[in-house]
Amino acid sequence: MFQITTDVLNTAIVHVQGKIIGGIVDQLQDEIEQQLQNGNNKLIIDLTDVPLLDSTALGVIILAFQVLQRSGGKLVLLNPQKAVTSILEVTRLTSILEVYETEEAAYNAFE
Amino acid sequence: MSETIYVSDSTPSIETILVIDDDPDILALLEMSLTSDGFNVITANEGPLGLQNAKAEQPDLILLDVMMPQMDGLEVIKRLKDDTDTRAIPVLWLTAKSQTEDKLKGLEFGGDDYITKPFDLREVTARINAVLGRTRPVKYINPLINAMGDSFSEEGVAELGSHLQAAAEIQMKLLPEKPPTYDGFDIATLFRSSTSVSGDFYDFIPLTDTRIGVVLGDVKGHGIPAALLMVMIQTASRLLSNQTDCPATILKGINTLLFQNTDLEQFATMVYGILELDSGRFTYANGGHCPPIHFITDSENSENQNQNEEKFELLETGGMLIGAFDIATFSSDTCQLTQGDVLVLYTDGVTETEGQEPNDFYGEDRLIECFSKYITLSAESLCAVLQKELMEFSGTTQTKDDRAVVVIKRTDPKAT
Repeated sequence: MFQITTDVLNTAIVHVQGKIIGGIVDQLQDEIEQQLQNGNNKLIIDLTDVPLLDSTALGVIILAFQVLQRSGGKLVLLNPQKAVTSILEVTRLTSILEVYETEEAAYNAFE
Repeated sequence: MSETIYVSDSTPSIETILVIDDDPDILALLEMSLTSDGFNVITANEGPLGLQNAKAEQPDLILLDVMMPQMDGLEVIKRLKDDTDTRAIPVLWLTAKSQTEDKLKGLEFGGDDYITKPFDLREVTARINAVLGRTRPVKYINPLINAMGDSFSEEGVAELGSHLQAAAEIQMKLLPEKPPTYDGFDIATLFRSSTSVSGDFYDFIPLTDTRIGVVLGDVKGHGIPAALLMVMIQTASRLLSNQTDCPATILKGINTLLFQNTDLEQFATMVYGILELDSGRFTYANGGHCPPIHFITDSENSENQNQNEEKFELLETGGMLIGAFDIATFSSDTCQLTQGDVLVLYTDGVTETEGQEPNDFYGEDRLIECFSKYITLSAESLCAVLQKELMEFSGTTQTKDDRAVVVIKRTDPKAT
């Protein structure tokens, strides 16, 4: 379900495979908490292979975004596909959350 | 009134946890975990600030790091216990595994229990619950009364009581009330609840003889009584409707209320609009909700037979989703309904209906096509057609999503 890349200090990419709905959302939250526990407070959520996420998933992302922002960390989103982009646009979350198309651009966001 | 007071007194409020730790990552981790477990979380990155917060905010419990620069945990707890204002607040120690001696010393100094780093987050919650004698989180009712009790009228609070009852009825899957009837307008609704609790809602609020408020939205969140949050929004929109006729101001008010009184991860998307029954003007603000669609029929020029021409506008003006960010701002806009025009407000359960092909969703385009094709039908027939089409598209009568649709059709431009 999740693959983690931690090539850069304090930074983790969470690659998600499949829809983030239902019970998967709890797993995503656990994974984010695990990364924080590991000292990775710069998080990239890779949405390349996520066809859809539900509102609960959006809630977890909003929560993690705000918590990290306050603690000096950061959360950004990578490469959302059509349906997910449309959700981010309708809810206007694009005006607050940072969204990048490439890993390189996402990494640069932490500099 | 007595029933309302009973509701207020019988409901526990959200417990507040103060976390004092110099490591920002630990603060972020605990804030995230405890927030989603239903606690209100305050953080302090040093002892003196923690003491200040403890005195000012009177948390229900304090998580205290032992090892901190400047003032360590032992000094903090000493000062907490020396102050009559903070003496009774239970304290759980946060300590590294190696600091066994600290643990013992900590308990000696008056801590109630200890948790070792790295944390098992479930254990953290379990220890907190054990100390607080907490059973399960019951939220939303008290914060609403606290938020509104002082500044709103007795009628408002009484209205809250009736709304709580309405919520219970919705929980029991009773169908919502019929839409109102007005001369010159044909209004119909579609409401489907998938399983236990629906987060979708709509409301019609009579404002004056010639104006009604129209509300439609979708409450989201995790592990919460969504119907109660929905009632909070409905009540707030009704009360705010008495104070202003600016939809953007109403959304801002609801945003502030939700931001202050619910967890960060809980939010809603909604549209609030005011329909002028004499002129057909619809003034609205859209808070991060899928845009309502205004189908323009241009009936005065219908003789040129060009009816297949797609004419619609999306009502997108507004702002962000409601309740997650206090910086959110909103704006209002207006659209004009003329005779034959149809306005459709809906929740994403409609457009996210999944087809028989994987990852194929009904979507806005199909919705627009469906209504354009049948635009001359009555509002109720349009709802029926849509429902049939969604059923055929998904190949099942079992809806996985909640759905709410409000269809408003202007039938007579001269109606008063």
